[in-house]
Order: sequence, then C-alpha cells, then structure tokens
Amino acid sequence: MTPLHFSYLSAFIVSIMGLSLHRTYLISTLLCLESMMLSMFIALSMWPIQLQTSSFMLTPMLMLSFSACEAGTGLSLLVASSRTHGSDHLQNLNLLQC
Amino acid sequence: MPASPLLALTHFMTLAILLVPLVISMLTTKVWIIEKTKTSVKTAFFTSTLSFLLFKLSPPLSVVMDYSLLSASTFHLKLNLKFDLYSMLFTPTALYISWCILEFSQWYMDKDPYPSKFTKYLLTFIMAMMILVSANSPLLFFIGWEGVGILSFFLIAWWQNRPNTNTSALQAIIYNRMGDIGLISCLAWLTTRLNTLALQKIFTCDDFITLLPLLGLILAAMGKSAQFGLHPWLPAAVEGPTPISALLHSSTMVVAGIFLLIHMHPLLTLNKYALSACLLLGAITSLVAAFYALTQNDIKKIIAFSTSSHLGFMMVTVGLDQPQLAFLHLSLHAFFKAMLFLCSGSIIHNLNNEQDIRKMGGLHKCLPITSACLTIGSMALAGTPFLTGFYSKDIIIETMTTSHLNAFALLITLIATSFTVVYSLRITMFVQTGQPQHMSMLLLDEYNPLVINPIIRLAAGSIAAGLIISMNITPLETLPMTMPMYIKTVTLVVVALSLLMALKLAAMTNKMPPKSSHTHNFSNSLMYFNTMIHRSTPMITSTISEKYSTRMMDSTWQEKMGPKKLAESQVLPTKTTSSLQKGLIKIYLTSFILSILLLTYLFY
Repeated sequence: MTPLHFSYLSAFIVSIMGLSLHRTYLISTLLCLESMMLSMFIALSMWPIQLQTSSFMLTPMLMLSFSACEAGTGLSLLVASSRTHGSDHLQNLNLLQC
Repeated sequence: MPASPLLALTHFMTLAILLVPLVISMLTTKVWIIEKTKTSVKTAFFTSTLSFLLFKLSPPLSVVMDYSLLSASTFHLKLNLKFDLYSMLFTPTALYISWCILEFSQWYMDKDPYPSKFTKYLLTFIMAMMILVSANSPLLFFIGWEGVGILSFFLIAWWQNRPNTNTSALQAIIYNRMGDIGLISCLAWLTTRLNTLALQKIFTCDDFITLLPLLGLILAAMGKSAQFGLHPWLPAAVEGPTPISALLHSSTMVVAGIFLLIHMHPLLTLNKYALSACLLLGAITSLVAAFYALTQNDIKKIIAFSTSSHLGFMMVTVGLDQPQLAFLHLSLHAFFKAMLFLCSGSIIHNLNNEQDIRKMGGLHKCLPITSACLTIGSMALAGTPFLTGFYSKDIIIETMTTSHLNAFALLITLIATSFTVVYSLRITMFVQTGQPQHMSMLLLDEYNPLVINPIIRLAAGSIAAGLIISMNITPLETLPMTMPMYIKTVTLVVVALSLLMALKLAAMTNKMPPKSSHTHNFSNSLMYFNTMIHRSTPMITSTISEKYSTRMMDSTWQEKMGPKKLAESQVLPTKTTSSLQKGLIKIYLTSFILSILLLTYLFY
C-alpha cells in the first residue's frame, strides 16, 4: 500500500487502540474517538480525489457533520456521568447496581 | 439304671453351687464373701468328685447332651455339652486347686478393699472354664475361651494404678486376640463347610479336613498357651496378684489352648504336618522358656517361665499323637505349679512384698513349711521318681524316645528338662539357703492356718495325685513297655547330671563377684524378643497406615489428585474470568481490541 494509505490506516488503528486501552478517564476515550473521526475524514477526502469520482466529493462533509453530533453527544454523556458519579473516572461506570 | 442322667445332674449341681456365691457377691461387699466362696468351691469339688466317680462306674466313655437353641432348615445351633474323661477329670482338679487358692487368698487379699469384686471375677472365671472343658461344639468352646480371656485381663489388672500392670493386661489381651484369629477362622471354616458343629459329627469327616483349620487351631493354642511367638504375655501376667497367677496362669487358663488341641485331636491326627508343627513348636517353646528362666531374678517370673516351658512340653506330647498323656501332664502339672505359686506368695507377703530372689535367703529356717513345700514342688517339677511329675513326665519322655520323630525336638526337650532342674535349684539356693539378704525387722510367720492348709493340701496333691489320677485313666493306646536301659533311665540321668553340674557350678562361682556376659544379658532380656517385637511391629503397622493408607491412598490419590485437584484448578480461571465481568464499562471497551485485531488480520 502507499505511504498515504498506511498513514491514515495506522492513525485509525492507533486511535482505536487508544480508545480500548485507556486507563482512568472517559475523556481520553472521546479524544480517541475524535482522532478516529479525523483519520476517517482524511481517508474519505483522499478517496474521491484519487479515484476522480466527483459524486463522492460530498461524503467528507457529511462525515464531519455527523462527527460533530457525536462529539456533542459524547461530551454531554461525560457531563451527565460526572454529575451523577462525581468525576469521570472509568472505574465508577459499572453495570452492576451494587 | 444308667448313670448318665445322674452324671449330668451332679455336674449341673456343681455349676449351680458355684453360682450361689456369684449371686451373693453382687448383693454384698463384705469381706467374709471370700470365705463363703471357698466353702462353696469346696462343696463343688466334692460334688464333681462324685460325678467323676459316677463317670467311672458307668459304661459309656462319654456322654453328650444336645439342647437345640436355633433350628433353621439346614443349620441347627445346639448347646452341646460333652462329659467325657477330660472334662470329668479336669473339673475336680480345677476345683480342688481353686479351693486351695481361695483359702489362700483369704489371707493374701484380706486387706483388699474390693473382696466381692475379686470373688465375682474368680467365680466367673471358673464358670467360663467349666463351660470350656465341657463344650462339645467349637462355638460353645469359644464362648468359654473368650470368657477366660477377658477375666484374665480383669484379674491381671487388679492393681490397676500401676502402669506396668496395665501394660501387662493389655499384652495378655492382644496376644490372646492374635490366637483367637486362628480359632475363629477354624470355626468359620467348619461352619461354612459342614452342617453341624457337634464334635462327634465333625470327627466323622475324615477325608474332608485340610491343613487350614488345623493351623488355625494351632495358632489359637499358641496364643492362649503362650507358645513361642506369642509368649510374652505370660511372664508379664505375673503383675497380677499371686492367687490369680496360681489359678489362671499356671493351672487353668493357659491350659485352655492345649485342651483345645486335646479335644480336637482326632482332626489333628489326620495331618502329619500339623503334628510336626505342634511338636517342633512345643519343643522350641520348652527350650526357650527354660533358657529365659535361668537368669531371671523375680521369683514369680521364674515360675511363670517354668509354666511356659511345661506348656511347651504338653504341646510336644500333642505333637506326638498322645492326647491322653498331654491331658495327664496338664492335670498333674496344675497341682505342683499352683503350689509353687502359693509358696512364692507366702514368701513375698512375709518379706513385705519382696519379689527379687537376690534379696531373699535363709528362709529354710524361718518359713519351714513353705520352704519344704517349695522343695517338694521343685522335685515334682523335675520329675523325681514317684512324685506327681514323674507319672506324666517320665512316660512322655519314654514315649518320645521310642517314637519315630524329629531328633532335634527330642534333643531340645531333653535340654529343657535339664534346665528345669537348674532353675529350680536356683530358686531353692537363693531363697532357702545362705544368709538372709532381706530387711532385718521383718516378722516372718506362717502360723495362720489359711496359709498353711492350702499349701499342705496341694503338697499332698503333688505327692499322691500322680498315682491316683493315672490309676483312674484307661489308656487309649498301649504304653511303651520295652526299651533299652539307657532309654528308660534317660530322664533320671539327665536330671541327676544337670543337678550335679549345677551344684558344682554354684559351689565354684559362689564366692566370685558377679560378672555379666553376653549370654547372661541375652537370657535375662528374654532374647530381646520383647524389645524387638513390641517396638517394631506396632511401628511397622503405624508406618504403613500413615504413609500408605492415609497419606498415599486417602489424601493423595483420592483427595488431592481427584476431586480436590479439580476444585483447585477451577479457581484460577474463575478468578481471571470473573475479573472481566465486574460490569465495568472499561472492560467492555477493551474488548474492542479483539475486533480490531480480527479485522487487521483478515484484511492484511
């Protein structure tokens, strides 16, 4: 694969790793989510340029708007959880009731 | 009119007379109970003499009574009683000796706090012995056997606060139990293969009896009659009171094993290996016990070893295929052995409980009657012509020298006979002659008729009973009549030579300081048999049970390798897995890794 492909693929993988293997704070999850979104944005932008398919030139824009929504949702979840649990430590988020 | 119902009646009267003081002893605890018991045993003796005379007058040689206890379709359990020569003759002998012993124990045990318990135990013992000798089926015999065993345990442990006494009683029970295994196995063998337990019917199954039940019987005799291998309990049993030693461990209980072999003799005759086993076992016992007795220092132990030696001698006679001679020796030996024990009891009590012969001396002048009877008993023991021991011992040795048997057994029996003289001489020299070695301020007297009368009665028995009893027995086989002169006089020559040699040795070494040698220590410590066996056998059993049964089988294979290992091995994965399932969102997000790795792997 070309270095360009490799770069945004590896960025995606690294940010997914960061999402799963974080330690303490929920906000690092959200940051990794953003970086995943970023790498996908770059990938989506590069793809119609390289393949000269002009009908897909709109997709990065759609991607961006959806990611803004999800970022907002994520942040609101963070705020809600820190309101109920007192902090955003991941240890507090437990499915069990006891 | 046939005398058999009268015979049975008088025999049962004997037993009923013996029951009376038993009942009384349960109701009272006063000290006069022993005197009443003595009177009843005396009466029972006369009644049993009457029944013996009836037996002699009546035509049948034996009378059998069958009383049905349990009748199933194929197995009938009967209460079989047999009144033949052996039981009819043994009963008066045993009761005579018990009478003398009870009279003696009136004096010996007069300061004892529990006379009624003593009476109870003694009477129960005598009843069990009566059951044993008149039993016709091995089952009833076993009841009497167990009875005498357990009573022996109670009576040895009479002064139960001494630790030695408890050990001795325990030894008696354990060694008797090991012999019981043989008896029970024989009983089981007979019960499973025959449909009857009556002796007269068992004796008709000639071609059916193999070696196994006979070995069981020999083992039972080994245990009860202290043959070599199961012998340590007999010298240890002298921890009990002297009347008990005189009754149980010289006359009555220890002959139960020999009595078993005499009763079951028709079975033993069938198998020459069993007879050879008896012969050699008896000869070895005789020699070994006499060897032990040569260097012991406790007077009761010497007499106990002498009993053991004579029991070996009786076993030799059984092995010679001569049950009647064995029975003769059994009854005659009882007289002088009981007398020897009673004399030693009188000596011990008079010397303020001193049992060591090195601390006695010069009692010839102080206790004349006791020492005279001690001498008579020793002479009867050695087989002096025309005293009691002669009638049985000489005939047995004559039979031995004229039969076709193992020469080794013959030789060591003769050596044991010579040792008999030597240790009897040792007792006589240490106890009766020389300067007194005991404490100075002792009041030695034998003016109490309760002491003197039994001893004199038994001395009369030691002198005359040989003749009386052997005149009343009809021999089953012809005795050896012709033999060379040197065979005829072998006993006398052996006894005389050993006496002279012992006297000479004693005279030579009397003034020398005592020096211990290896042989002396070997003999004194009982050939280290007790030391080796009493430690090693339980140790082996304990080691096997701990290492193999408990640790290897139970703990390891059945617990740690099996179920417990399974349980243990589940714990670690469970812990690991349950840590993943705590409900934390963090963990669920971590599982994304799995999907990403899968993706990467699949596409690249």
